[in-house]
Amino acid sequence: MTPVSLRVAMGAALEDVPAVVIDRVLERAVRRADDGTGPPIDLILGETLFHERGRLAHADRARAGADREFYSGVRHAVSSARAACASELLRAVVTHYADEIHGHFDRRVYAVATRALPVGLTALLSGLSPRELLARRRIPNLEEHVVIDGEVDALRTLARRGTIILVPTHSSNLDSLVMGNSIFRLGLPPFSYGAGLNLFTNPLTGFFMSHLGAYTVDRHKTDPLYRETLKEYATVLLERAQHNLFFPGGTRSRSGAIESHVKKGLLGTGITATLHNLRAGRDGARIFVVPATCSYPLVLEAESLVSDYLEEAGRSRYVLPEDEFNRVQRWVDFLGGLLTLDLRIELVIGRPLDPFGNDVDLAGVSRDPRGRAVDAARYLRVDGAPTDDPARDAEYTRRLGARVVAAYRRDNVALPTNILAFAFLEILRRRAPRLDLYRLLRSLGPDTSVPLDEVVTEVKKIVHGLATLASRHEIRLSRQARDAGAVIPRALATFGTYHRATAIRREGDRLHVGDANLVFFYRNRLEGYGLGEPLIPQRSDA
Amino acid sequence: VSPVDRPVAVLGAGNWGTTLAHLVAKNGHRVMLWTRHPDQRDEINGRHTNARSVPDLALHPGVSAVTDLGEAIGPAELVVVAIPSQSFRAVSRIAGDVLQPDHLVVHVTKGLEVRTHRRMTEILAEETCAAQVGVLAGPNIAAEIAMGKPAGTVITSAFPRVIEVTRRALSSEQLMVFAGADVVGVELAGALKNVVAIAAGMATELDIGENAKALLVTRGLREISRVGVAMGAHPMTFAGLAGIGDLMVTCASSRSRNNRVGRALARGELLADILAALGMVAEGVYAAVSARELAAARRIEAPLLERVHRVLYEGLPVVRALEDLMRLPAGRDVGARWPGRSG
Repeated sequence: MTPVSLRVAMGAALEDVPAVVIDRVLERAVRRADDGTGPPIDLILGETLFHERGRLAHADRARAGADREFYSGVRHAVSSARAACASELLRAVVTHYADEIHGHFDRRVYAVATRALPVGLTALLSGLSPRELLARRRIPNLEEHVVIDGEVDALRTLARRGTIILVPTHSSNLDSLVMGNSIFRLGLPPFSYGAGLNLFTNPLTGFFMSHLGAYTVDRHKTDPLYRETLKEYATVLLERAQHNLFFPGGTRSRSGAIESHVKKGLLGTGITATLHNLRAGRDGARIFVVPATCSYPLVLEAESLVSDYLEEAGRSRYVLPEDEFNRVQRWVDFLGGLLTLDLRIELVIGRPLDPFGNDVDLAGVSRDPRGRAVDAARYLRVDGAPTDDPARDAEYTRRLGARVVAAYRRDNVALPTNILAFAFLEILRRRAPRLDLYRLLRSLGPDTSVPLDEVVTEVKKIVHGLATLASRHEIRLSRQARDAGAVIPRALATFGTYHRATAIRREGDRLHVGDANLVFFYRNRLEGYGLGEPLIPQRSDA
Repeated sequence: VSPVDRPVAVLGAGNWGTTLAHLVAKNGHRVMLWTRHPDQRDEINGRHTNARSVPDLALHPGVSAVTDLGEAIGPAELVVVAIPSQSFRAVSRIAGDVLQPDHLVVHVTKGLEVRTHRRMTEILAEETCAAQVGVLAGPNIAAEIAMGKPAGTVITSAFPRVIEVTRRALSSEQLMVFAGADVVGVELAGALKNVVAIAAGMATELDIGENAKALLVTRGLREISRVGVAMGAHPMTFAGLAGIGDLMVTCASSRSRNNRVGRALARGELLADILAALGMVAEGVYAAVSARELAAARRIEAPLLERVHRVLYEGLPVVRALEDLMRLPAGRDVGARWPGRSG
């Protein structure tokens, strides 16, 4: 454990981060404007105003008030200003962004936040469920329901040898709490992480988020200048040897499938920080990327997520304003389900990588695919000198992204709910081979049913297929799913505890569709392993 | 050591590797040409010839041959790999002992690994730490270039520096070096076109006419483009130098090895005898296996790739294969659309 005093010192060392970020972003913009490799400053400001006006048009009035005032000031100044003022205005905008990103970061509570977390979580959870407290039932404790597996020792060791970028899968807002709590349980020092603005505004999590060393990511902001500021912020934190966590999928998986693509923006900060470290003579400062895969038997927001997925128009909305995450009763039901059935959330820590996508051993040495030691700094050197080359670094980041996605697939844990949903939908799909996904789902109602025997046979087939894949380390099969006979009762009980319309229900010797969209959502976790025909339309922008 | 002074490594002293080494040396760079044969090394260093690979070429004295991979690769920034596809992995694995992350690795091999169907840059990624890789391809009959005749080629890489350094090493009044970014497309086009070239050789030998040959080659291009696109290639790559450009020369030139294989098959010769007489690798003979399996796995109809495979490995007579291909139902040509219908 890092002593508390040291963590306070780390917090103090981060105080000037916004100033450094602002200077760097401005210096780069001015240099590019001067040498013609980037747009002139007034054009950058125009773009900011354009993007922010678009965002504010749909923003919540109360929250957007200050922003509206700020931008109307900027707009006025742009229209009346002399050219010399443009860079001062740009500074004001970048400062506005940097302050918001950094804004929730409080040095005084930062150091003790992770220590307080388990207590806080329990308080949070019991606060959610006063009835259970009154009934003197056991208070649900998230900790007992999260099983941590995988390369735990490697993560612990490398966190002492260098700076970690932890990149988990993202299926639920609960991920933030699960990760924060797991980092504490593993005895790791606090991680900074980019959390969505909505986590700060959620009354249940806001308090904790602002005390977790979290900085703010507003996914509604489309302005390239904002994204640049955000990336620079994460980069500077890494250069200050501050462990970092972000979700490279960018947003919770709408389909329920494991991420098959990751966003390259923040993922590339490890390379940029390495380059800056080399330039500053910090040759020994190493950065490691550690994937983490979190599998839930039930997903808190499943209903909202999948309906958003199926409404194609909604796929660009990053934050669902009225999803289950913000409704207290849904939390109570969800946690009640975890407690009653003793369900386990399975978190698997993946093999550590360097920022270029190579494996890393326990000593922090990069290894090529044949296990030979690699001097990773040389990926950035030309004739011995560290060199800027954004196209090169983008390609390295693509390589890294592919390795991260491969880790997610390998460390995905197939749970009974996933297996039953997959088997069930396979049978229904075979009955209607001509229907596309949307027609298929619309055709399924409460009257649609399958004899239990048929489902048992299909589940056995799927479990057998999964066991074969698991023996080749291509997926993990949950302990609770190794006995194919136990899968169906387990899955039915799990579905029954939480969702308003249970995904699948049993009537006599038949299984009926309860909520076809939920069946689709839970089966998607096993998409892409060759267990059946693909059902999710492929993205073409790979 | 400034970049200009660093030697260029060329791995493989076959006819294309040797010719490339010669071109790079003519441009004023030192070249370390790696061969596994000491006698070949001694011949190159002593007499500046490589009779086995390029009989009539007086090699530029800037080319030094070595049999030690480390000696070739160590001092270089640019490493050109000219190794046949089926030995590519073995050589890459040894080269991986000396390759470093700042090496730029460009291969010139037009083939796929049998069984795995891996592209050469995939093999490099599996066997070495090299990430800054690229592929050089195009209508480049080595013997013509060795004679000093002009040509064009395309260096394809996601890394700007790979393109820049390769162009600096190779561009000359004789050789125009174009730039591209579709590595997957260029590798697949280069490998798969050799199968079409075998079919073109058969057609030439049986004298079915230039019209029919053009029909065959064009439909073949369509088949390999569809397979390529299904594997992630950009369709336009098949219309470029590494696609149709390379296909034209391979299907027309009597110097093309794959073309020669097709013609010999049409004369009724046995594959084993043909390859023995050739004395060099005909990549299309291997690519035909991959091509058929790749098309089948993606449910792409590829009658020409299929027939070439059957001629090579299942004893289908060449006459039958060509008759089959000429009797296929005529569907749509590319881009044709009828009003009121989709697809």
